[in-house]
Amino acid sequence: MNTITAPAIEYLQLAPLLIVFGAGILGVLVEAFAPRYLRRAMHIPLTLLSLAGAFALVIVQTIKGVPTKPSAMGAVAVDGPTLFIWGTILVLAFISLLLLNDEDHFVPAASAVPGSAEEERALIEGNVHTEVYPLALFAIGGMLLFPASNDLLIMFVALEVMSLPLYLLCGLARRRRLLSQESAMKYFLLGAFSSAFFLYGTALLYGYAGSVDLAKISTALSANVGQDALLFTGAALLGVGLLFKIGAAPFQAWKPDVYQGAPTPVTALMASGTLVAAFGALLRVFWVAIGELDWDWSPIMWGVAILTMVVGAILAITQTDIKRMLAYSSIAHAGFLLVGVVAIGDAKQNATALAAILFYLAVYGIASIGAFAIVTMVRDAGGEAWHLSRWAGLGKRSPKLAGLFAFFLLAFAGIPLTSGFFGKYAVFQAAVAGGAVQLVVVGVVASAVAAFFYVRVIVLMFFNDPAPDGPTVVLPSWGTASVVGFAALATVVLGVFPQPVLDLAQSAAGSLFVR
Amino acid sequence: MELYAPILVLAVLAAGFAVFSVSVAPFTGPKRWNRAKLDAYECGIEPTPQPVGGGRFPLKYMITAMLFIVFDIEIIFLYPWAVAFDQLGVFGLIEMVLFIVTVLVAYAYVWRRRGLDWD
Amino acid sequence: MTFLVSPVANPGPTSPGPTLADFGHDPLWISIIKAVFLFVFLMVGVLMGVWTERKLISRMQHRYGPNRAGKFGLLQTVADGLKMGLKEDLMPRKVDKLLYFLAPVIIAVPAFLAFSVIPFGPVVSMFGVKTPLQLTDLPVAVLLILAMASIGVYGIVLAGWASRSPYAILGGLRSSAQVVSYEIAMGLSFVAVFLYAGTLSTSEIVAKQADGGSFALGSLNIPLPSWYAVLLIPSFLIYVLTMLGETNRVPFDLPEGEGELVGGFHTEYSSSLKFAMFMLAEYVNVFVVSGVATTLFLGGWRAPWPISLWDGANVGWWPMLWFFAKLVLLFCFFVWVRASLPRVRYDQLMHFGWKVLIPLNLAWILMVASFRALRVDNSPLVIVLMAIVVVGALGVYFRFDTVLQRRREQRAAQEAEEFDQLRDQPTAGGFPVPALDLPHYHGATTGLNRKEVPSA
Repeated sequence: MNTITAPAIEYLQLAPLLIVFGAGILGVLVEAFAPRYLRRAMHIPLTLLSLAGAFALVIVQTIKGVPTKPSAMGAVAVDGPTLFIWGTILVLAFISLLLLNDEDHFVPAASAVPGSAEEERALIEGNVHTEVYPLALFAIGGMLLFPASNDLLIMFVALEVMSLPLYLLCGLARRRRLLSQESAMKYFLLGAFSSAFFLYGTALLYGYAGSVDLAKISTALSANVGQDALLFTGAALLGVGLLFKIGAAPFQAWKPDVYQGAPTPVTALMASGTLVAAFGALLRVFWVAIGELDWDWSPIMWGVAILTMVVGAILAITQTDIKRMLAYSSIAHAGFLLVGVVAIGDAKQNATALAAILFYLAVYGIASIGAFAIVTMVRDAGGEAWHLSRWAGLGKRSPKLAGLFAFFLLAFAGIPLTSGFFGKYAVFQAAVAGGAVQLVVVGVVASAVAAFFYVRVIVLMFFNDPAPDGPTVVLPSWGTASVVGFAALATVVLGVFPQPVLDLAQSAAGSLFVR
Repeated sequence: MELYAPILVLAVLAAGFAVFSVSVAPFTGPKRWNRAKLDAYECGIEPTPQPVGGGRFPLKYMITAMLFIVFDIEIIFLYPWAVAFDQLGVFGLIEMVLFIVTVLVAYAYVWRRRGLDWD
Repeated sequence: MTFLVSPVANPGPTSPGPTLADFGHDPLWISIIKAVFLFVFLMVGVLMGVWTERKLISRMQHRYGPNRAGKFGLLQTVADGLKMGLKEDLMPRKVDKLLYFLAPVIIAVPAFLAFSVIPFGPVVSMFGVKTPLQLTDLPVAVLLILAMASIGVYGIVLAGWASRSPYAILGGLRSSAQVVSYEIAMGLSFVAVFLYAGTLSTSEIVAKQADGGSFALGSLNIPLPSWYAVLLIPSFLIYVLTMLGETNRVPFDLPEGEGELVGGFHTEYSSSLKFAMFMLAEYVNVFVVSGVATTLFLGGWRAPWPISLWDGANVGWWPMLWFFAKLVLLFCFFVWVRASLPRVRYDQLMHFGWKVLIPLNLAWILMVASFRALRVDNSPLVIVLMAIVVVGALGVYFRFDTVLQRRREQRAAQEAEEFDQLRDQPTAGGFPVPALDLPHYHGATTGLNRKEVPSA
């Protein structure tokens, strides 16, 4: 009887993934068996320790030397960029979870009709959905796998593992329940739709190349001729799926609604982690699988990048909800990052562009978590003070908080001495070197427009009179305080002395993506 | 394909019989029109108005359906594993233990949250 | 997919029967003959089955049963069928016309199709063509049976849904929830069979049961029984339970619980040929699950032990008789169960399906697999793994058992307390209740001198 040989799996290389998923499964067990009053106390160390452990393993991996071959029979690529992205996501996830720890972001009973007696009862009984911890861990695991996956099927699975818990988490906000449920529903429907696009594109590319392996698709590009319809349709559908996840125009419609409705810590996690993961996957697909095709896709990517920057920057001006404004700002930043994706060229150029994108992702993620952390602290009677007018004069009531928020906004705008400046500078510089000068011009203009609405908020906070019944600033818990502190510190340090992280990004990007 | 052709023959036969019986039924019996006979049967009381689309039904059934899908997929993974078990050997056993344990974690969660209870 | 088609190694002198390779060579007319035979067999089988059931259950209940139409009432079912054809066919006003019309078809056709992969016998010569006594076989034959069972559920759901009546829709939902729940346990009970047979093809599973082989324990060669029903007895027992649930038969016939749901999902299908389709499908389904039990667990068409000593027992047309005998016996088992057991409550039914059968099944599968692995690879790793599985299964079982035990005791204590309270103050519950220690309450008065009151 012939035997099927067992696949070789490099467990050490995949250890960060395994730890995060394993902790997620343990979290489900905690949910199942631990008594209610113990659950949080067990979840918090489990979640944080697993993320820290995974981060430590990433560092060990980096020191031991970056693998040059895909692992797990070519299904997962743990290469330089992956390790950098993993490190970034794990740090971002860690601080998002510190934010998530705060008691009152989540609804006591998600299935109860908003405003019903059941909800009231659950509130009085002190129910908490501690399921958010395992859910977040699964989402983070998906985020880790998504940019590392070296074939399209694994990528699809990772996409779903990442997205499904996030759909749920979006619907768990404690306040403004209807908005929260609406956001979860919208995100789910649109996300399922985009996943279908992604899967259909995968099927077509499989039909074209006879494989879902990214490297094999790349080699098939030079071998197969005359099946261009399959290839182009497949690549386009795949692109739709991925661009949806990063929220690039014209697929950005979900972002403001979801960011607005989701519990703010979840928004922070999505705005940082998901964006990083989705960009990693986008880069891998577009640079590895269909990198040879750049003459065909880069004009479209130009268009998408321009549209995204313009839509993000201009629509943000009209927003009155602080979270919606930050969502549009996130769309604009996705556009700036897409400028880097277009800057493809020879290996050296690619490495420069990749390093720029990686650095940008890291600094943007940290700053946005900081900004959302501050949003959670400014409260009205009914929860967060979401309307911009409520923020008027905040600088006079609590100058420290307003100052920090202003600082994050300046980092978003890319003002020198903040980390955002170096991020933007690196990406635009790579794009200029890659010959995308016109794109950079549009990017700079869009940045200027974006700077306008950031500055407008700052003016509102510092030069307007506070409303008489203005929002209160709650005393932050140690978690929220450390998140804000860390984010502010990182933004300052990386704004003044970015070289170590830039070097790290460059050395990570130097080897490019393995095939 | 030859393997499936006989099933098609039987399918034609069975479907022909079933469709014939169902469609001939209105013509073989008598017709005695009566308004009450055409109402939904509810043991003699006035029929409850039914909304279009069947209306809402207990969520329990949807949970059962979802659990069914989870376990059905588990079965679909178990079948090829069982058939090829002798070739897979110990590696297959370890993998399947891990898989079943993972599914059982979810199962335990559902059990503890009383997803399997009916009242 | 190729590994599913592993042919049986070296058919010995007493050939274990046809394998997958013997199928797919029939000319079309042979296929048509077989299909027509199968169809007629099932139709006549249903007619006879209904009669057998009524007759048998009557004798068990000290009655005569049908004895008017034809000799021994043999034509009773034919008469009933004709009557149904001549009844008025109603199309209630509110129903969803198309689905109401299609549901009986959807439920009946898959029931027939599932029988296409049930082997009736070995290769015979049919009008000069050598062909196995089986309509066809597939590399995934058992999956076809399960798939057909699942499609049948659509018929149930759609019949209930299209009827636009609360009884029908609840009956349909209940019935489908029950069928899918038991389908999982059923699917799991097959896994151990596949572990041993190494194939999903029904004819090869029968061939594998020709000879049990032997298990070498040191220098000892212990012959193993050949039927999987004996070899894998937990699987077989679970399958027998699930086949009752899967076909909505007593004691799991809740969808038709007259007391609560009138007629269940076919409430609105009053006594015409549409209703006859549901009846037909139910009985064909009973035959299908009996056929599957025969094929997968009871050695298929192969003769049982004393007969199998005769050389000619497993060749030619004789095996059809053995198969038929096994089928009839299983059908009689259905009737026997129906005569003996009361209907279970719905929550007990679901509880049993989800909380007992599924975990038991999974634990059993892992044990069988570990045992198999020992034969493939005799490494200590397997033994350790097996030990872990067993300890884990036992641990989980005891954990739940203690919890359940505690809960049971709690409930018993609560009931006792309530009982005491009611005995002291009969009206405590708000209702006028006779004192619970009245002499005709059995067992309620342990301390008192109780005299049995004869019923008038």
